[in-house]
Amino acid sequence: MVDSLFQPLNIFLLGLGGGFLIPLLYKIAKPLPAVGFIIALLGMTVISSVCLWSVHHGGSTIEVLTAGSVPPFSINLRFGPWEGFFSVCVNVVAVLGAWHLWGRLRASYPALLLYLILTMGINGMVMTRDLFNQFVFLEIVSIGTYGLLGFERTPAALAASFKYIMATVLASSFFLLGAGLLYHVTGTLNIDDMITNRALITGPIGVTALLFVLSCLVLELKPFPANGWGLDVYETANSGIAALVSVGVSAGVFFALFKLLPLFEDHLGVLALSGGITFLFSNLVGLRQTSVQRMLGYSSIAQMGLLTLALALLHQLDAEQALPLVVGGLFINHLFAKAGLFWLAGIVERREVDGWSDVAGNPVLLSILAVFVVAIAGLPPFPGFWAKWELVMQAAAGERYIWIAVILVGSLLEAAYMFRWFKHATRPLPGETQISPTPGRLVPVLVCAVLLFASGYAAASLAGAASLLLVAPLVVGAGLYMLDWLPGRAKCVLMLAAVLVVGLWIVRDIDGLRQLFAVLLLAGGLVIAFASLYRSDPRGGFYPMMAILLLSIASLLRAATSLEFFFHWELITLSSYFLIAQRRDAHPYVLQFLLFSLVSAFCLLAGFGIAASANGTTALAAFATAGPDAAPAFMLLAIGFLIKAGAVGVHVWLPGAYAEADDDLSAMLSAVISKVAVFGLFMVTYLAIRSQVGLEMAHVMGWIGLLTTIAGAVMALQQSDIKRMLGYSSMSQIGYIITAIALMSHLGWVTAFYLVANHLMVKGILFLAAAGVILATGTRLLDQTGGLAGKMPLTFAAVVIALISMSGLPPLAGFGGKWLLLSAMTDRGWYGLAIVGVLATFIGFLYMFRLAYSIFLGPRKPAYEEVREAPWPLLVPQFVLILSIFVLSFFPKLLMDPVSAAIDPYFASTLVWQGMSLETIYGYWNPVPVMAFSVAAAAVLLALFLLIYRAGWGRSIPVSTSHFYGFYRLVFAPLVTPVANFVWDGVCSLTIGLAGLVRRIYTGNGQTYALQVLCYVIVLYLLGTLRLTAG
Amino acid sequence: MGVPISQILLTTGFLLVLIGFWGILKHRNILRIIIGFSLIDTGMHIVLVATGYITGGTAPIIDEALGIKEAATRTVDPIPSALVVTAIVIGFSVTAIMLSFAIRLHATRKTLSIDALTESRW
Amino acid sequence: MRRVFILLVVAGFGVIFAGLVAGYGERQTLSALATFYLTEVPADLGAANVVTGILISFRGFDTLGEVAVLFMVAASVGVILASEPGDKPLLLPAIGGKGQGPSELVRNGAEVVLPLIFLFGTYVIMNGHLSAGGGFQGGAVVASGVMLMMLAYPTGPLHHGFLSITEALAGVFYVSIGILGMVLGGGFLDSHILPRGDFGTLISAGAIPLISILLGIKVGAELSVIIDRFRS
Repeated sequence: MVDSLFQPLNIFLLGLGGGFLIPLLYKIAKPLPAVGFIIALLGMTVISSVCLWSVHHGGSTIEVLTAGSVPPFSINLRFGPWEGFFSVCVNVVAVLGAWHLWGRLRASYPALLLYLILTMGINGMVMTRDLFNQFVFLEIVSIGTYGLLGFERTPAALAASFKYIMATVLASSFFLLGAGLLYHVTGTLNIDDMITNRALITGPIGVTALLFVLSCLVLELKPFPANGWGLDVYETANSGIAALVSVGVSAGVFFALFKLLPLFEDHLGVLALSGGITFLFSNLVGLRQTSVQRMLGYSSIAQMGLLTLALALLHQLDAEQALPLVVGGLFINHLFAKAGLFWLAGIVERREVDGWSDVAGNPVLLSILAVFVVAIAGLPPFPGFWAKWELVMQAAAGERYIWIAVILVGSLLEAAYMFRWFKHATRPLPGETQISPTPGRLVPVLVCAVLLFASGYAAASLAGAASLLLVAPLVVGAGLYMLDWLPGRAKCVLMLAAVLVVGLWIVRDIDGLRQLFAVLLLAGGLVIAFASLYRSDPRGGFYPMMAILLLSIASLLRAATSLEFFFHWELITLSSYFLIAQRRDAHPYVLQFLLFSLVSAFCLLAGFGIAASANGTTALAAFATAGPDAAPAFMLLAIGFLIKAGAVGVHVWLPGAYAEADDDLSAMLSAVISKVAVFGLFMVTYLAIRSQVGLEMAHVMGWIGLLTTIAGAVMALQQSDIKRMLGYSSMSQIGYIITAIALMSHLGWVTAFYLVANHLMVKGILFLAAAGVILATGTRLLDQTGGLAGKMPLTFAAVVIALISMSGLPPLAGFGGKWLLLSAMTDRGWYGLAIVGVLATFIGFLYMFRLAYSIFLGPRKPAYEEVREAPWPLLVPQFVLILSIFVLSFFPKLLMDPVSAAIDPYFASTLVWQGMSLETIYGYWNPVPVMAFSVAAAAVLLALFLLIYRAGWGRSIPVSTSHFYGFYRLVFAPLVTPVANFVWDGVCSLTIGLAGLVRRIYTGNGQTYALQVLCYVIVLYLLGTLRLTAG
Repeated sequence: MGVPISQILLTTGFLLVLIGFWGILKHRNILRIIIGFSLIDTGMHIVLVATGYITGGTAPIIDEALGIKEAATRTVDPIPSALVVTAIVIGFSVTAIMLSFAIRLHATRKTLSIDALTESRW
Repeated sequence: MRRVFILLVVAGFGVIFAGLVAGYGERQTLSALATFYLTEVPADLGAANVVTGILISFRGFDTLGEVAVLFMVAASVGVILASEPGDKPLLLPAIGGKGQGPSELVRNGAEVVLPLIFLFGTYVIMNGHLSAGGGFQGGAVVASGVMLMMLAYPTGPLHHGFLSITEALAGVFYVSIGILGMVLGGGFLDSHILPRGDFGTLISAGAIPLISILLGIKVGAELSVIIDRFRS
């Protein structure tokens, strides 16, 4: 009895019976239809869930026969794992959608019955195994959609619905014709029979019929460019109906394509082409969109394109085993995120993106929006992330590099407009009106968000990556988020404790270079995070994100596979994005930060893909033994890490993000987060050594490093803002590290690590000191401060020590680092680089001196008479870091020996640097003569600069520090023309211009759309037949 | 013998479809466009029925003229006919929906020209 | 410019269709499926009209689906054309404007023809399993009679609520008979739940005539509702 209750067929009985009953119930009593509707819809959902459960556990597919006969004579339905998955997904979304639409549905019983039968129709499209029955269900779904669209009364919505009907009716006519002709050639309507007798589908009739069916399904998925009709409906329909069209109807059509795919095996190329073009161009045009629902429409269409592309590609590559993760993951991601976004749009009721700043005051809405936007962008921990990863891996294994590029570029564009929207939502405007929906309204979106997390975990297990270690950062973050109501300082202490405990647990059993990085970054991160105690405000969401950030760094360091690495890499990107976005002034820069981070991440993704196909595994350990095939992987990975490290040319994101983030966060970004990219470089640069090309590329990287150093130093000199100066200084210092890594020698790597440690401490001190100064004076401008040394002696002392160590003056650690670097470069024969390095060091002196001078020395401004020393939470970390600098400076072997030991496995056997042991190198490092030489050289250069200054400008003017700097800033000004900014702005406006051009095809005229639909059929026909004759 | 009947039927059906295409693409009036869609539908139905035709076949109904024994040899294919019944009903449904939208559109903007329906674009 | 495009597209389809016609080869023998139906429908189901037999039993699921389509259309048309409070009636001048009632001819003709139409419709429905016809066809005939009635008596006796209840009830019974098929017969919509009877008589062919009648009632009512909605 129970068995017969939970039969897939009962979904249809409930749908149809319930639908037919609703008018009767209405006649009996007005509220009854709603009750019947709820029972039927929930029943359908429960039945499909129970059936999926039993299929999943019992393993056997449920076959439903009708009319007391067997296929192919009668229509049959099938409920296997795939059908069950789609059916459950659609039903769950239908239930949630009914909740969202309840006000409208309850008001009229026709709406109830249309909604119910429409949902049943989608189930039918998923389950039926008869081609003509497929057509009938397609029509049920279409008519249901038309009917629900008819509830809108605005002229625009009516017009859009009419265009939608025109296009879909045209498309389904082709299905009808195709199905009829297929019966003519195969003598059956049963899909399984047809697949078995695929060979019969030849000749002009068979091929044309097949292409007609294909055209219909592709058209129903709204392919670019024949999709204006779909977009108009997305824009004008009620958000709930638009969500239903976007996820429900599309799911049914997509599944029809999915199950008919064996028939289309000759046309997989056409299908991939159609999907790829749709994905790319829909996202391109989406960039120009300001209407929220239309933008979501572009995104919906793009996601369907991506699904089509993935489906075709995986079949072409014979990688069907990846289908559950890729297609299932992309589908469920789109399903929940897009439905949620549409519903959210309905709750917020702001048609234009600009209006969404009204959301800014509502943290719940904002968090939900963030979840959906992150999911749509394909970022972790959501299923889209795992699916895209697997898709890129498969494409790389099959050497479909063009498709990888299409997928990544399209994803970037999509992320761009999605996060731009999010940016608007986080930007509070004066005179905003609060949006505070009742909790009941939020239930569907909340459930979607929860389901996204759950399915993300499921996808991770499917990818074989799910483990407690993997999600530990997120779990801790979620836990802290629950406690977000506590006072700020309590949350900070909790966060520090959690990071300490969990962080130690995460990194407990790693060794080598990773261990060193782990110790350094975790300790450094905790010390700097301690400084956050100086703020007592609640900082909603700050501490959970900080915990995620720091723990993700720890997890990244212990990642064993490139998948785990990439997962944590993206988490770091995301958490730092959300942290930076916390500060209002950072809004103009966060999007830039995120986009560059994503470009970097996508380069990594492509690089890891190629590396995995070259190495045959995703294990990171394989990088050490990679073959020469991995050279392109090295290039992509290096580019990715260099972008994130802020190398010259791609540094444009850096100053804004560093300068405009919260003051304590800037310290974290510069001191700790930037080192993650450096770790990445360490990890992959080893690939370069395997081929001559790779070594050449490493040399190029060395030059990039030093150019970054020079550019950073020159630009730092130009700044009048403390934090911007420090940001550029950070870029400059990272440049040295890049060069050191590129040296590809034992000495180079030891140096690099030494510089990493030094920079972490130095920049931590400087940014925290800057935070203290800003707190005390309220300004960031160098020229407005001055003479604070007396008022803030401790901060002054810390800054002086940090500057000495950074500038490379003896006797502190920076000197050792510079010295090692120069030795390593001459050792390698890179004399040109060595000379540039010296020059860069000198420019470094100039801006560093200016920093110390203009803040702490010189005349004190009257406004700052009452300034007091920075609070202790800021000073303590600074002095801890100073202590470390001293240790590093006077006992370098404490660090050098483990570093050398960690690097030995890489270079000891492969590269011997002329037989010198480390001890010998240390032998050169005799502080006394070297100090003498350095001081002399610095004096000579300073004298030279003063001479030029006197001769060129200040002949009659008394020598003063500010004039001196004014002069040199002028001299260097041409060097810092923001070429990079021009280039990237150009790329941006070019893309947006292109988007504007492309979208001219959407004229809004229904006949044009019909024409496009018909043209699309002809093009598909031509492509399909040509491909057939060619192959 | 001349041209086989099924060829004639197919040609007729497809011609109707083409006329329908022309109608929906060329005419501005929504009602005419709907007529175009009806023509396409009708054409498709004729084509479908034609594919079931077998020269010399009769209607698949057992009566005095057609014994049970000969049913399998002397009739046309019943399946396309069965499908077309369904297709006709669906075609009718779509036409009804389109007409009701046309009435609604006319009521809201007092014109039946499709060129007026361009509020949303780009 | 636009005209050229249209011409090109239509010509393109002309070429594709011409290819179809040229490449078309008539089937010399029936497909195995058709042969099965032609022998099984009379022998096993006991229905003389093979098409009706297929429609109601083997492809009964399709038929149920298209009934659902009609049902949805009736509901949708009602929604789309429903005038909201404050709206002006949509179609006031279109049909039956004041002072211009139906002509003598229509009214008298209706009186004569209507009974015949309904009778014929019923006949077609009842004999669906025996001769050309069936629920759909008969239902359409009945609905055309209803339409004539509406033209003849614009303010007429047609009760909207009655029609929609009839429609819904017929649908519910249809589904119930399908479920009976699951309980008593071999599966959903199995027509063997009633005895096969004598081949060629009115009461034969299992549940096919019953379903056919329900179908006829439902289609007739649905079409009438749709037509009625357009009137109001």
